[in-house]
Amino acid sequence: MTAINDILHLLVTANLWQSVLALSTLLLLPALGGVVSERSGVVNIAMEGMMLVGAFFAVYADLHFHSPWIATLVAMLAGGLMALIHAVVSIRFRADQIVSGIAINIFAAGLTVFLIGRLYGLQDVGHISQNESLPNIVVPGLNSIPFVGQVLFNQNIVVYIALVLLVSTHVVLFHTRLGLRIRSVGEHPQAADTAGINVFMLRYGAVVASGLVSGLAGAYLAIGISNTFVPNMTDGRGYIALAAMIFGKWTPFGAFIACLIFGLGEAIYYNNSFIHTSQYLLSALPYILTLVVIAGLVGRSIPPAADGLPYVPGSE
Amino acid sequence: MGTGAVAARPRPRLPVIGRLTRGLAMPVGSVLFAFVLGAIIVALTGASPLAAYQGLLCGGIGVGCTEGENSALQISNSIVYMIPLVMTGVAVALPFRAGLFNIGAEGQLLAGTMAATAIGVHFASWPAVVLLPAVLIGGAIAGAFWAGIAGVLKATTGAHEVVTTIMLNYTAQWLLRFLIIGGPLQPPGVFSASAPVGPNARLPTFFPNDSSVIVFGLPATVYRVHSGLIIALVAAAVFAVLLWRTSLGYEIRALGQSQKAARYAGVSVRRTIIVTMLIAGAFAGLAGAVQIAGVDHQMTDKYFSDTTGFDAIAVALLGLGSAVGIVLASLLFGALHSGGAVMQSDAGISSNLVLVLQALILFSIAANFLGAILRQIPGIGRTRPSAPAPTAPAAALVTEAAAPPEEASS
Repeated sequence: MTAINDILHLLVTANLWQSVLALSTLLLLPALGGVVSERSGVVNIAMEGMMLVGAFFAVYADLHFHSPWIATLVAMLAGGLMALIHAVVSIRFRADQIVSGIAINIFAAGLTVFLIGRLYGLQDVGHISQNESLPNIVVPGLNSIPFVGQVLFNQNIVVYIALVLLVSTHVVLFHTRLGLRIRSVGEHPQAADTAGINVFMLRYGAVVASGLVSGLAGAYLAIGISNTFVPNMTDGRGYIALAAMIFGKWTPFGAFIACLIFGLGEAIYYNNSFIHTSQYLLSALPYILTLVVIAGLVGRSIPPAADGLPYVPGSE
Repeated sequence: MGTGAVAARPRPRLPVIGRLTRGLAMPVGSVLFAFVLGAIIVALTGASPLAAYQGLLCGGIGVGCTEGENSALQISNSIVYMIPLVMTGVAVALPFRAGLFNIGAEGQLLAGTMAATAIGVHFASWPAVVLLPAVLIGGAIAGAFWAGIAGVLKATTGAHEVVTTIMLNYTAQWLLRFLIIGGPLQPPGVFSASAPVGPNARLPTFFPNDSSVIVFGLPATVYRVHSGLIIALVAAAVFAVLLWRTSLGYEIRALGQSQKAARYAGVSVRRTIIVTMLIAGAFAGLAGAVQIAGVDHQMTDKYFSDTTGFDAIAVALLGLGSAVGIVLASLLFGALHSGGAVMQSDAGISSNLVLVLQALILFSIAANFLGAILRQIPGIGRTRPSAPAPTAPAAALVTEAAAPPEEASS
């Protein structure tokens, strides 16, 4: 019974919810990227690799330029470049998008460790000093609101950016002409093309956008949270983001709710000093939860109709 | 050139040879493409591609060694890496034929290692004639169960197997960590490893287990190549027979071509999806059991970062989903893996370059870069029939895999 009391007690602490939001942001950014990419009709399971490359180049650039802003920019470009490869291979060459995504992830895992060996030899990559990492922003005044202040107004800058991106992705996708076009390209590219919409352009843009935000998530992980790079440090987060996207039925806010649930699991895991279950079993929980959700207990998820289909102009 | 001239021209080669060269052109071209691009990446980082590939060649097939490595040992190591790749390659290729994408070979392999270890440790006193089959079959059943979850979900709710198998991979990884770190398979006083399986649960190696016997200039015990090779080759043969000589194989191929057509032909889509995944998982689970029984004899933390099941995707694609192709592709990736270690120690280039090469091979096959480039060249592009799609059901994969089978709704 004490364990349950302890959990209940933990659930009402602001500390916990502060880290829930921080950890969810790591998932939210690639999940938003996935939503945009798949809404345009390009299956994207490569967020994991794009995040990892972003994380590596964030650390590399930060150690080099001593500026978290330049580092974040470099990370986003690196993620965007990986996404561009995925886009060219799957849009221009009409490759199987799942194979291409897997290739990106393997490429990222191999390339980052290969580059560590070339750039740093056998040593560690090195640590980012605190004043060169992405800063926490405390919103003056608002942060003194009890509970809410700590949870919402004392966060890393990337958390605020992610929340702005969440709202703007929703608005763009569902309330603007551009969003309607992106969705139409993902549902029925032939019709969109007939209506004069540039299918290829929109798909390239959507995929590259997913790389930019995944790179940002990588930068947040590497120079906002960990302040160093270790091989495979994304640790499946890109895949959980993929699950969150499906969980959320390809909508930004749906994905956000899923990210919060996964983030809550992770935060309890980190703040756990009393649940006498193996931490490793707890770590499997998000994945099992996803399986249960996908199994249809929470309603069926239906992807955009043309998701995964290369567009061949003039085809039926 | 008129059509008459083409028709009158005698066939330049035997049809078999023509088919073979055309079949090999794409995979060989993709590998070459990857190596060229890989060399550029190595050169860009200021290292010597020549030294890198010399290391790979030495560690892979024992040719061109500079540090006096034993060639026989390198080949033995390559075969050790190759063995699980054949079986997991089959585990990816079989569902491919049915239009299913099994990304979960890794999780299924881990399920196999967990079951095999548990059986091999707990029943260590059983005689080998009972224990060894129990270990192998136990591993296969565990793998089948793990894949079966994805199969049943796909058949009943339409849950995409790519997503479910990814989740099952992570679940298996964490379960394995739990088992050997503070869990039931961790013996007292040991961290991050299980107890070794009993001597009766081990597959014999090809060379005598006696360090006083000298083979190719080294004690026989350093050669780890084991009889799992035979199991792997038999698995590849079973795959070919199953696919081409049985009615189930026909159903699997029909499903891969078109779910709708298969249904009209009287194929039970749901049943075939589940059975295909079960069999695929059994192959991957067997691979895990063979790893335990053949080389590792215990689960260690090296399984946390095992990538065999992901390499298997490249194997299946490069092998064009055929049994012979899978064996050849496994040989290549086995040699690359083994070569990576020598490259790292001799040339000082991270063995992770192998992963980069593997990804480049995947890109090249999936996008058929060479086909696209050849089509740009007039003359070649016209006389050459466009290369076949890498996997027959690729179209079905993307269109129909995303939707639940229609039977589910009835």
